[in-house]
Amino acid sequence: MEKVSVSFTLNGEPVTIEVPTTWNLLKVLRECFELNGAKEGCGVGECGCCTVIVDGDAVNSCIYPIPEIEGRSVLSVEGISGTDGGLHPLQKAFLENNAVQCGFCTSGMIMSAKALLDKNPEPTEDEIRTGISGNFCRCTGYVQIVEAIEMAAKNKEGNF
Amino acid sequence: MIDYEYKIPADLHEVFTLLKEYGEKATLVAGGTDVMVKIRNTRKAPEVLISLRRLEDLRYIRKNGGYRIGGLTTHRMLELSNLVRTELSALHDAASQVGSVQVRNVATLGGNICNAAPSADTAAPLLVLDAAVVLEGPGGRRRVPIAEFFKGTYRTVKEPDEVLIEFDIPEKMGAFGSAYWKHSRRKAMELPLIGIAVSVKLSEANEIEDSRIALTVAAPTPIRAYLAEDFLRGKPFTDQVLKEAGEIASSSECCTLRTSLRCEAWYREDMIKIFVPRMAKLAAERIKSR
Amino acid sequence: MSEYLYVGKSTPRTIETDKVTGRAVYISDLRRPGMLFGKILYSRYAHAKIKGIDTSKAEKLQGVRAVLTGRDIPEVRVGFLKDQTVLKKDVVRQFRDEVAAVAATSPEIAEEALGLIEVEYEELPAVFDPIEAMKEDAPLVHEIDARGRPVRSNILPLPWKFSAGDIEQGRKDSAYIAKDNVRTTWVNQCCMGTSGCVAEFDMNNNLTLYSQTNVPFLGKQRIVEYLRNIGLKGSRVRVVNPIVGGSFGTKLDTDIYEFIAVQLALRTRKPVKILFTREEEFRALPPRQPAIFEIEQGCDKEGKLTFRKVEAILDNGAYTSWGATTPSVMMMPISSLYRVPNVSFNATCVYTNNIYCQAMRGYGNPQATFAVETSMDSLAEEAGIDPAELRLINCNKPGELTPMRLKITTCPLDRCIKTVQEKINWKEKRGKRNGRGIGMASLIHVAGGARVYKSDGHGIMVKVDQNGNVDVLESGTDQGQGSPTVISQMVAEALGFRPEDVSITLGDTALCLWDAGTHASRHTFMAGNAAIRACDKAKKQILEMAVEHMPEIVEYKLKRKERKDPDFQMPDLDYSLISEPDKLDIKDRYIFPKNQPEHPYFRMEVSEVLTRGLHVGTGESKVVVGEAFYDPPTEMLDREMKGNYSCTYAFGTTAVEVEVDRETGEVKILNLFAAHDVGRAMNPTLVKGQIYGAAYMGVGYGLTEQLQLRNGRVMNPNFRDYKMLTAKDVVPVVPLVIEEPDADGPFGAKGIGEPGLVPTAPAIANAIYDAIGVRITDLPITAEKVLVALKKKAGEQS
Repeated sequence: MEKVSVSFTLNGEPVTIEVPTTWNLLKVLRECFELNGAKEGCGVGECGCCTVIVDGDAVNSCIYPIPEIEGRSVLSVEGISGTDGGLHPLQKAFLENNAVQCGFCTSGMIMSAKALLDKNPEPTEDEIRTGISGNFCRCTGYVQIVEAIEMAAKNKEGNF
Repeated sequence: MIDYEYKIPADLHEVFTLLKEYGEKATLVAGGTDVMVKIRNTRKAPEVLISLRRLEDLRYIRKNGGYRIGGLTTHRMLELSNLVRTELSALHDAASQVGSVQVRNVATLGGNICNAAPSADTAAPLLVLDAAVVLEGPGGRRRVPIAEFFKGTYRTVKEPDEVLIEFDIPEKMGAFGSAYWKHSRRKAMELPLIGIAVSVKLSEANEIEDSRIALTVAAPTPIRAYLAEDFLRGKPFTDQVLKEAGEIASSSECCTLRTSLRCEAWYREDMIKIFVPRMAKLAAERIKSR
Repeated sequence: MSEYLYVGKSTPRTIETDKVTGRAVYISDLRRPGMLFGKILYSRYAHAKIKGIDTSKAEKLQGVRAVLTGRDIPEVRVGFLKDQTVLKKDVVRQFRDEVAAVAATSPEIAEEALGLIEVEYEELPAVFDPIEAMKEDAPLVHEIDARGRPVRSNILPLPWKFSAGDIEQGRKDSAYIAKDNVRTTWVNQCCMGTSGCVAEFDMNNNLTLYSQTNVPFLGKQRIVEYLRNIGLKGSRVRVVNPIVGGSFGTKLDTDIYEFIAVQLALRTRKPVKILFTREEEFRALPPRQPAIFEIEQGCDKEGKLTFRKVEAILDNGAYTSWGATTPSVMMMPISSLYRVPNVSFNATCVYTNNIYCQAMRGYGNPQATFAVETSMDSLAEEAGIDPAELRLINCNKPGELTPMRLKITTCPLDRCIKTVQEKINWKEKRGKRNGRGIGMASLIHVAGGARVYKSDGHGIMVKVDQNGNVDVLESGTDQGQGSPTVISQMVAEALGFRPEDVSITLGDTALCLWDAGTHASRHTFMAGNAAIRACDKAKKQILEMAVEHMPEIVEYKLKRKERKDPDFQMPDLDYSLISEPDKLDIKDRYIFPKNQPEHPYFRMEVSEVLTRGLHVGTGESKVVVGEAFYDPPTEMLDREMKGNYSCTYAFGTTAVEVEVDRETGEVKILNLFAAHDVGRAMNPTLVKGQIYGAAYMGVGYGLTEQLQLRNGRVMNPNFRDYKMLTAKDVVPVVPLVIEEPDADGPFGAKGIGEPGLVPTAPAIANAIYDAIGVRITDLPITAEKVLVALKKKAGEQS
């Protein structure tokens, strides 16, 4: 197996790993760092459960080749809570507005929402829906998720 | 088990060196949204993947007379570009509907075109905008009109040792209004059942000076509907004329529609008939409101 | 103002904070020391003989720990009708048939090993259409039954025949009759978390199965029975739920992959995980049962229903799981949605070489209600009566005993109908035929359990510690509906604590008491009723403790005050206020005398009493623990398929406004009002969440979703081609929560997990008819079907 050494920033910390070239970012997050927030819902970039933020953009980590991560900055759901352990406004809003049911899509959904709000702090409903259109949810019908993102956008106590 | 080398050249020069070294064993990867998925689905991989992702200087949208769009420009860049939205509207329509934000953040225009799927959303707008594909290889650069770029399903005229550098859209196309309709069953995460792009230029007398019509999923490759375009040229911009253009575009003289699991041929035909006029009208509206 | 402090409030789901921080452990995240990964090889044919299997190459692959085929394990039959084995030895009958399984040190190696297994098949004639399969000369899917007796037909020995009253008399009494043919298709549940489990044996052959099941106790029993049948007589089984990524019916049966994981774990003596890929989830998980209905019903001149006759054919697929029992639920709307005196319902389940079917949200009700409610609109048109009016004329009423012997207690169906009628502006908008249209459909569903097993019971245990923290051992499961939050509210209410004092342990057969399973929208109803009873016991213990210890606590405090403040006057306290448990109560974590709740000395934090009363070190120490097993006073269906199988029933009505593009056939939903009878909403935000989610799933069922099968093979095993709706596909659902507290429900609650889905598709179909005058009776209502129907109508007219 070809192996590759990759150095990058993960949730604010510099890290280096050596893994098979064929691994993707999702597998690295889960296997090397036991960060289980990003999930494999389909493995082919069609469901969004694996969404993380790379250099500010939401991406499907399941189809992101690990060699490409060299020198980049990766943010996963585990990295968005405050250093004091406090929840991110999106996390709070999701709990408060029942935007979480089974929760399997939640990490990816929150990361898509965060990537959106980071660039567009006051999105319209349509922009929110576009922002999460690559994140399937089977439980909620999306309404309370969209509302939660609107709530979080209005209630900017934290950093987006 | 799947195994491959993954090369990340820093510039074009290195790309060509690697292409020369590995020859047919290598596959170029841009955003990877087609290649990585294909590897996973087929459980087969080329021996070497050569990534273009670090060629940051091939990501641009410029207007200088004509329009130049770098081969590695992402769909998301096109989606967020005001210039593309107002002056190359059909391309904006298409780019902003590919997959999801996550996909559009990495998937590139060059990748979408080189993958050469019959359903490539961005191909239809590039066809109606008369884009030329600029390729660079060991022998230098060459330009290929997009209408001559596709050789067959998943096949193009690009040589294995060439890289798609940019798309050039002639200045005169800025005077055209354009629109693309992706007909699908839902509003995101879709492939088109049929895709219809139309560009038009109207005279002051509301006659059709010039027009292009392109279709995806209507043939083994994205295609132009030349007969329908010829029909339109010089005609008044009326419902009846547009309706007839739709009928010509949907006929077997223009396309080879087929029934697949996703959609039946008759429905694709019907939708071409409906959306050639609708898109022509939208394109005309856009040019007026500009 | 509600008399309750916590139920009825939209308590946030803080109890599930792990789900927003990435810490929640789903089956995909679960690791056990030394764990191996299992993969399954499926059939390459819809129907074939297995001539031979060569596993030698796979066995030699580095990292492979076990390769099993039907020849390597005892041939023990499993499933609802015991019509299949775990690994198929001689014959495969569907593409998803499990032929071999591998355990290896990584999923990739296991996958590669599958590719090295060589199977030689001899293809057999197959049958894919249930109607074809019923013919005498059709290829037989099964040659013998579970007892080894020869089988002559593909029709299951599971006749569903229901009849009440006299159909012929009903027909004679009818002024108008409508007859429709209705079809529904396969739909995948699409849980975002794919299926999986981890099986682990200890050295004494005791098994722990980490399973996503929503019937931990029935699931455990199936595994115990299986182990017994393969010769492991003394094995104990513990079933533990991880966090579950959605269920919607998929976790009702014990799936074959779970038995395979058990076999691989047994063979390797290592924990073995099987985790489905999305493709497997589509190809190898039983979808919703498709059905073909012929429905006929009539009414008299006034619009009163006279009879309803329904014939159903169900494509069972190759084996029998819960899909085959969906007629037991179909029977409910067919016999009891609206008042109809004469009813006949026959359902025939037929084996085919298609994928076998299971339960999905609503369990047969969505299929049957689609038939009943589209037919109601047909009948309304025949009779020239407004469809809403026809529904109101025949509306169910409280106190009614339906032909199926369902006892209707609370029933605000008329309110539901009138509410959506008003919201959607029914009178104004109906009947325009201008491309915009409105339609409605109602439902009846079990909302107080469903007695499908001898016991429909539910156990709960409530413990209180000296810190005032409450541990609830809850025998149900949570697949995302939010039970932990709602149960914490109900326990807090019943015990007099606060929701944040309560922590919940769910889904562990070693810790929790027995339960029939978290299905049939029963969890809130059952858990609440059990919790009220268990909390009553625990509370009594605390109050007894209070009677014993409060005087000394009060005296101690007074003495301390006296010491600190020389001017303090010792009050003359009436200790009779706290001399009996009955004189005391607990609310919001405070204990107080009922007659003087704000008493300055006798009102105190309950933890003060608990600190004294629990395990005190000297004398008699105690624990506070209350348990209850609530089994509602309901009946199983008798031989005539009659009986009051739920303690209460939920009603609801959905009204939809659509816009149909006559040129493209596309249907856009402009408005969707869903009025649901929930008894009392325990947590309004969560109730709305159930309605939003179910209605959206119903729109998918109505318009876009379809597992496409060609000759038994699933052709669209991915999210690209399986058209589940995205956030961009706006479904403008407005949930309307209709509250009429139910006397049998805990704090008045009824179940609401499934109902939102049930009337959605027929409401859409009826709205489409109103918009363009064509009735589509075949789900999903694709643009193509709309266009074909429009063209046909235009052809007929010209």
